[in-house]
Amino acid sequence: MSAAATLWRFTPLLIIALLWEATTRLGLISEFALPPLTNVISSFFKLLADDLLYHTGRSILRGAVGFLCAMVVGVLAGVLMAWYRPVRILVNPLMRCFYPMPKSALIPLTIMWIGLGDGSKMTLIFIGCLLPIVMSSFNAARGVDQVLIWSARGMGATEQQVLWEVVVPASMPEILSGIRISLALSFILLVSAELIIANNGIGYLIDLLGEGGDYAGMFAGVITISAIGFFADRGYVMLMRRFLRWRE
Amino acid sequence: MAGPSTNAAIALSLRENGMAHWLRIGFYKVGPFFTVTALLLTWELASRLELVIAFLLPPLSVVLLRIAEDMVAGQLPLDIAITLYRTLVAFVLAMVIGISLGIVIPRVASIRWFFDPIISIGLPMPKIALLPIFMLWFGLFDTSKILMVAFSASFQIIITTWSATQNVEKELIWSARSLGASNRQILWEVIFPASLPQILTGLQIAMPVCLIVVLVTEMVMGGQGLGDSMLRSARYVDSPGVFAGIVEIGIVGFCVIRSMELIRRRLLVWHQETQKEETTV
Amino acid sequence: MASVARSGREHDNPAAAPGISISGVCHEYRPANGRPVLALDDISLEVKDREFVSILGPSGCGKSTLLYLMGGFMPLQQGEIIVAGKTVTGPGPDRGVVFQNFALFPWKSVRDNILYGLEKQGLPREERLEIAQHYIDMVHLSGFEDSYPSQLSGGMKQRVAIARTLAIKPDTLLMDEPFGALDAQTRSLMQEELIAIWNRSPTTVVFVTHDVREAVLLADRVAVMTARPGRLKEIVETKFADAPHDEIVKSPEFLDKVDYTWNLVRAEAVAADAEKAG
Repeated sequence: MSAAATLWRFTPLLIIALLWEATTRLGLISEFALPPLTNVISSFFKLLADDLLYHTGRSILRGAVGFLCAMVVGVLAGVLMAWYRPVRILVNPLMRCFYPMPKSALIPLTIMWIGLGDGSKMTLIFIGCLLPIVMSSFNAARGVDQVLIWSARGMGATEQQVLWEVVVPASMPEILSGIRISLALSFILLVSAELIIANNGIGYLIDLLGEGGDYAGMFAGVITISAIGFFADRGYVMLMRRFLRWRE
Repeated sequence: MAGPSTNAAIALSLRENGMAHWLRIGFYKVGPFFTVTALLLTWELASRLELVIAFLLPPLSVVLLRIAEDMVAGQLPLDIAITLYRTLVAFVLAMVIGISLGIVIPRVASIRWFFDPIISIGLPMPKIALLPIFMLWFGLFDTSKILMVAFSASFQIIITTWSATQNVEKELIWSARSLGASNRQILWEVIFPASLPQILTGLQIAMPVCLIVVLVTEMVMGGQGLGDSMLRSARYVDSPGVFAGIVEIGIVGFCVIRSMELIRRRLLVWHQETQKEETTV
Repeated sequence: MASVARSGREHDNPAAAPGISISGVCHEYRPANGRPVLALDDISLEVKDREFVSILGPSGCGKSTLLYLMGGFMPLQQGEIIVAGKTVTGPGPDRGVVFQNFALFPWKSVRDNILYGLEKQGLPREERLEIAQHYIDMVHLSGFEDSYPSQLSGGMKQRVAIARTLAIKPDTLLMDEPFGALDAQTRSLMQEELIAIWNRSPTTVVFVTHDVREAVLLADRVAVMTARPGRLKEIVETKFADAPHDEIVKSPEFLDKVDYTWNLVRAEAVAADAEKAG
């Protein structure tokens, strides 16, 4: 896309930003409901010099640890469940029971179990993202074209080889899109848990600024975490594309 | 056809005699019940036998008793009703907004131009982060909760409706047009039903989001409901209360998701997914 | 195998292992819920060494099932299948299979797809690459070694699939409607190419199809199956003088055979429809 086209594409956002600034500067909207955009931006830089990076780093660390663990365990569990029938028969009913549970119900549980610190949030994100990843990996591996498996067997692959050289790569596209959904979920859980109760982290910071009446700072925090969530997704999609180049 | 693990079945069924066959069938039939029962039993026994601290995992019987008490006291039905009310109102709101925007956006160039960047940024961002802003604008009662939930869920519905109505087979539309259908008729009588399966999938993704977010809003703002009462239990370090909450929310979630599936099946009687038949090669 | 340089349509090499022997094979599908369906009923068939046999029948007659049983992909419920002197108990590289939808690994390039089976045979790397290149050239895909299957046309994909199967030098070639997904023109080109390859290095071939003309044209014999449950209805001799395809297809014998075989299949298809309706 050319630069002009990109600019044209994102002009609506520019319009919204201008409207935001104009209405608040002209006093059409109370400053307590919506601080002017320029104030939010200057608050952002003030916070950046202060402790925004610390809190953000804290949040990202929690999210990343919990999510990566869920990813490794979830994909392995899902694929093995699909591959070994006895495992499937034993685990599937449990999964079907627990899968529809709204994951935010785990927040009070991990608070009670582990407290307010990093461990509690990591556990929350780990458990919360685990089942969706298991479920999508399971479905992906179950859906692998039988004929691909047969043709590998026909060429002399052992069962182990079929699993790792055929089933896993063949289900990779679906596994990766399942993980993407869980990535979004991990942000929801992280921010929610920090808003509800925490000692640090970006959610805590937003809550603190809001309680203290620093709405410009609160907006800056909200925009920061939204942007991080957005770029995490974009980055993931880019990695995924590179990884799945064979699909083009 | 059976899944990739037919190898296990092949290994088992090759030259297997009657006994082994029945053992296998028995395992497949009993296995699922076995796991669920085993889980519940382990739960009960682990804390009864003090293998884990009862505070971390109160016995199942204690939790069930607690649920029964709350039920009789009337607090639990009230909480369920309040949470469901918020969820469903928000869901319907998100559905109406999402489907209408999803249909209008791709058809009107100026609207598409305006909404395209907003949606491509809004879809992947964690919308729950806006909760403090919603609280600031709409207060601490139902309005802000419902709007927050509807906002969280609507992007998904917009985007699936958008792509579903755009990807309807051209031949279908052309054949309706050649039969003399007007544009409006084509939209409602061809495009909408043809994209219904995907739209329903979008709604099925949005519903769990609604449930997740409604609980969070209740935990943050209070105002009764399952989320509020569960967080209060956690604050009072009342572990049977927390586990009762998990079980209740689990059951509510299960019922809501299941009914979505049933509605889907009812609406899509004509679709091949409802008429899956075992075929031979 | 490579030592056989003469015309392939002779079966006088005593050192070669015998072809395929299928005796009394029955197969029943047992869906999780619903009545079991008898797909194959007492099939017995002898395929001579280096013979090209087509299995022909209306869709749903179990002809692919029979092929999968020969491949060893599904457990044999009743009867026996012996391929090249060995009883079939599971899949193996002695039987090369070409599937209707190519079954290429979409995440591997053309070369890597062909290399896959060679790696499983434990050949040294140099030799693997050499063999792979040989077969890539043979199916006229030089220049596409590093392409992914998604970048190829249907005909090219099927050529890769055939090269991949031939590269492991199977004694027996099992083909399941290999040209079913191709357009008519590509299809007839591929048929000629298959026969050319087969003439150069003849192997025993079982070729499943529902295209009467294709079966009659390619095969030495055509085994016609009945509608479900699949039984062997008749075996038609369809060997013609060695001649280019475009001459064969115009010859009256060919047209007679097609007509005759077509009537056999048609009767079965009609019977199957009548049963469905009733």
